[in-house]
Amino acid sequence: MSSHEYVPEIATTRDGVEHEVQGWQGDFYGGKLGFWLFMLTEVLMFGAMFMVLTYYFTLHQSDYIDASASLNRVLGGFNTVVLLISALTMGLGLLKMRSGDIKGAKLMIWATIFFAFLFLGVKAIEWSLEYQHGVFLGLDALQSGNVHSKPFGQILFFGMYFTMTGLHGFHIIIGIGLMLWLLKRINADLVTPEHHILHWNIALYWDLVHLIWVFVFPYFYMIGADAGGYHIPDIGSLFGGHSNEH
Amino acid sequence: MSTNIKVDYQAEKGGYYKVLIGLLILTSITFIQPSMFLTDATFVVQLLIGLIKAIIILFYYMHLKGETLIGWTVVFAVSVVLFFFSIVIFDVKNFQFVDESHISSAVTSAGSPTAGHHSSHSDESHTTSEHTSSVSHKATHSEH
Amino acid sequence: MSKSYFDETHCAIGHPKTKVMQWLLTVDHKRIGIMYAAVMFTFFFIAIATAMAMRIELFAPGAQIMDGNTFNQAFTLHGVIMIFLFIIPGIPAVFGNIVMPLMIGAKDVSFPRLNWFTFWLYILGCTIALSSLWTGNGFADTGWTFYAPYSLNTNTNVISTLVAAFVLGMASILTGLNFLVTIHRLRAPGMDFFKMPLFVWGIYATAWIQLLATPVVGITLILAVLEKYFGIGIFDPAKGGDPVLFEHLFWIYSHPAVYLMILPAFGIMSEIIPVFSRREIFGYRTIALSSASIAGIGYLVWGHHLFTSGMSDIAKTIFSFLTFFVAIPTGIKFYDWIATMYKGKVILKTPMLWALGTIVTFAIGGLTGVTIAMVGADIHLQDTYYSVAHFHYAILGGVVFLFFAGLHYWFPVVTGRMYNESVGKVAFWLNFIGINLLWFPMFIAGYYGMPRRYFDYLPEFEIYHQISGIGAIVILSGLLLMFWNFLYSWNNGESSGTNPWNATTLEWHLPSSPPPLENHTKVPYVDFNPYEYHHGEPVVKFDYETMKRID
Repeated sequence: MSSHEYVPEIATTRDGVEHEVQGWQGDFYGGKLGFWLFMLTEVLMFGAMFMVLTYYFTLHQSDYIDASASLNRVLGGFNTVVLLISALTMGLGLLKMRSGDIKGAKLMIWATIFFAFLFLGVKAIEWSLEYQHGVFLGLDALQSGNVHSKPFGQILFFGMYFTMTGLHGFHIIIGIGLMLWLLKRINADLVTPEHHILHWNIALYWDLVHLIWVFVFPYFYMIGADAGGYHIPDIGSLFGGHSNEH
Repeated sequence: MSTNIKVDYQAEKGGYYKVLIGLLILTSITFIQPSMFLTDATFVVQLLIGLIKAIIILFYYMHLKGETLIGWTVVFAVSVVLFFFSIVIFDVKNFQFVDESHISSAVTSAGSPTAGHHSSHSDESHTTSEHTSSVSHKATHSEH
Repeated sequence: MSKSYFDETHCAIGHPKTKVMQWLLTVDHKRIGIMYAAVMFTFFFIAIATAMAMRIELFAPGAQIMDGNTFNQAFTLHGVIMIFLFIIPGIPAVFGNIVMPLMIGAKDVSFPRLNWFTFWLYILGCTIALSSLWTGNGFADTGWTFYAPYSLNTNTNVISTLVAAFVLGMASILTGLNFLVTIHRLRAPGMDFFKMPLFVWGIYATAWIQLLATPVVGITLILAVLEKYFGIGIFDPAKGGDPVLFEHLFWIYSHPAVYLMILPAFGIMSEIIPVFSRREIFGYRTIALSSASIAGIGYLVWGHHLFTSGMSDIAKTIFSFLTFFVAIPTGIKFYDWIATMYKGKVILKTPMLWALGTIVTFAIGGLTGVTIAMVGADIHLQDTYYSVAHFHYAILGGVVFLFFAGLHYWFPVVTGRMYNESVGKVAFWLNFIGINLLWFPMFIAGYYGMPRRYFDYLPEFEIYHQISGIGAIVILSGLLLMFWNFLYSWNNGESSGTNPWNATTLEWHLPSSPPPLENHTKVPYVDFNPYEYHHGEPVVKFDYETMKRID
C-alpha cells in the first residue's frame, strides 16, 4: 500500500531535454494543497454560521449582550487555554516527527488527545450547568409562547450557541479519531520522518479546530462580559440541589 | 510524499513556544479588556484580538508564511465570506418594513400576546390592540 | 502496448478477481467516470418520467392523474433528482473524470482513492434521497428549494432529503478539490495554464465553485435539519427567526451552482467548435479568463432570487446590476465561438449540430435571464412559467445539450467505437424541435400569469400546456433514440480509431482506442498551443511509442 517505490516519469522535448513529470504519487505539495482546500470548505461552513449569528445580532443587540453575560466565562476561558496548549503539543509533535524523533512525536500526539478529552469534558460540564438553569434546546426557555420563554434575541443566541459549540465539539471528536488513526499508522511504519504528509495534515486540522474556537469564544462568551460582571459559576448545582442564580 | 529535509527540533521549537506565549498574552487581554479599556467597543475589540490570534496561528503554526499559492487561496476564500457577510448584514440592517415586521427588535418577546397573533406555535388566542410598546414592557420582565 | 482500461484495473482495496468487484473498487478515473454516467443517466430518465407525469397532469385543467399533494411531491422529486443527482455532479463527474486527466497528459487525478470514495459517497446520497420515497409520509413536497417555514412544518420526508443533499454536496466538494489539485500539480511538463485546453479551464473554474459555494448550502441544510429537529429558532418566525435568511443562505450556493453547471458545458463547446471548424479557436485567452470571471462574479449575484422577498431596495439594485454584469463574459464567449466559425470549414457532424443548437437555445435561456434580472420585470414574472422556461432553456438547452454534444464527441475515446451518424442527427433534431415546442409556450403563459408549481390552472392557459405536452413527447422520443444509438453502437458500432475527428488535444493522441489503463505511453512535453491548425490540418504530430513530436 505504500508508495515508497514510486519512480517518477520523464518527458522528453524534441531536442532531447528531459523533464521530470510530477505524478500523483509522491506529491507532498499536492497533499498539502488538497488539505488546505478542504480546510477552506470548513471556513466557509463556519463562516456561514457566524453570518447567521451576526444577522440576529444586528436585530437584537441587547438580547445578545444579556445572553452572553450569562455564559460561564471561567469554564470557557479554561477551555480556550486547554485548546491553545493542545495546539502547541500538536505542533511540537509534528516537529519531532520531522526531525526523526518518532517516540517523542507519539508522546506529543497522546498529550494532544488528552487535552482534547479535557476540552470535551469541560464542555460537557458547561452544557449540564446550562441545562440545570433551564437553558437548553427543547426546554421551555428556548421555546416560544410560554411563561419561561426568553426574548427572541436570546433564543436565537442560545440556538446558535448550542449549534456552533456542538459542531465544534463534533470536530474535536473527529480530531481525536484522526489522531488515534495517525498513531496506528505511525506504529505500522506508514508515517515516517520521510513520509509524514498525513501527520502534517492532521496537525493542520487541529490548528483549524483551534482557529474556529478563537472566534467562537469571544463572540459568544466575551461580548457581554462587562454587562453581567463576573460571577462565580455554580458548580455545586451539578451535584444536585437548587440553583439560586438565574 | 517524500521529504529529505531533516529538521532540527531544538532550533525550531523556540518559535512554537514564542507563539504560545503570544497567544496566552492575547487571551489574557481578552479577559481584562471588557472591564479595563475600550469598553464601549467590546465587540469590535474582542473580534480584532481574535483576528490577530488567527493570523499568528495561520502564519506560524500552520506554516502559511512561506506559501504563495495556498496563501492566495486563503485570501480568496476569506474575501468571498466577507462579501457574503457584508451584503447580507447590509440587507438586514436596512430592513424595509421595520415597524410591521414580526421579528425586528420592536417586537422582542416570544412569550408576549402579540407574538401569538402571528406565530403558529403559540396557543394564545388573538388579542386586540397591541402595538410594539406594550410588548417591550413584557420583554423587560423576562428572566435575567 | 498494455491492455485497455476495460481489461486492467487499479483498485482501492486489495486485488479482486471478479470483473464486478474490479469495477466497484476501481480507482481508475476513466472507469469511475463511466460508472457516474451510468447512474446519473438512470436518474435522469427517472426524473424525465416524473416530468412526463406532470405534463400529463397539466394537459388539462383540473385533476387528471394525481391530486395537489402528489403533484407537489412530483415537482420536488423532479427538481431534487435533476439538480442534486444529475446536473450538479454532471459534466465534471463524467467528463471531468474521464477526459480532463487525458487532456493534461496525467496518469490519473491527484487523489485516485479519494475519487473512488467520492463516487460511493454520491451513491450513498442517491440512496438516501430515493429511500424517502418509500418511508414515512413520502417524498418531500416543498419544492427543491426547501423554503422555510413550510419545510419546517410539513411532515413529509424533508429531513432525509436534506441529509441526502448534504451528502451529495460533500461528493461535489471532494470532486472539485480533487480536480483543483490535479490541474495545479499534474499538468504535463511545458503545459502552463495558458496552454491548457479550454475544457480544462472550464473544469478548473467549476472546481472553485464546487469547493467554496457548496459548503454554504451544506451548512444551510444542516441548520434546517437542526431547526426542524431541535427548534434552534433561526428560521422560525415564532422565535424571531427569519425565513428570508434561509433564502439568502440557500441561494448563496444555488446561484453559483448554475455557473458550476454551465462552465464545463461551455468548455465542451470550446472544444467542439475549433475541431468542427478546422481552425484555431478565436480569443483563447479571453475565453479562458471569462470562465474565471464567470466563476468569480457568479458568487455575487444570488440576490436576484430574492427580489420579491422583501430585500431592501438598495440591495435589489446592487444585485440587479451585478446580474447584468455577469452576462458579459458569457456574451464574450459566444462572440468568440462565432468568430472561430467564420472562414472556417464547418463540418456538420452530430457534435457540431448539438453545439450550434445550443448556441440558439442557450442564447434564449441567457437572454430571458437578463429580462428577469430587471427588478421591475421580475416582480411580475417571478415564480411564473417565465422563470421555469428561462431556466429550462438555460439548463436543458445549455448544459444538458452540451453534455449530449460531449457524449457524441468523446464517444470514440471512451468506447473505441463510433455511434451511428444519421441516427444521431435525427435524434438531435427531435430534441431541438421538442425543447422549443415544450418550453417556448411557457414564456408566453408565464407572461400572462401562469404560476409555477401549480397543478391546476384557469382554462385560458390550457393551449400552452397542450403545446408543451406535444413538445414533451417529441423531446422524449429524441432522448430515447439518442441513448439507444449510444448503447447499440457501444457493442456494434464500427471501430473509430484513436482520432476520428482529426483533433489536436491530447486525449486524441493516445496509443489505442479505448485508452490503455495508464493513458499515454509516456507523458509528452507540451510546447504547443492546444488548437494549432494549419490549413485545416493539425500541426502537432506524435510518435506514439516515445510521445515525441515528429512534425
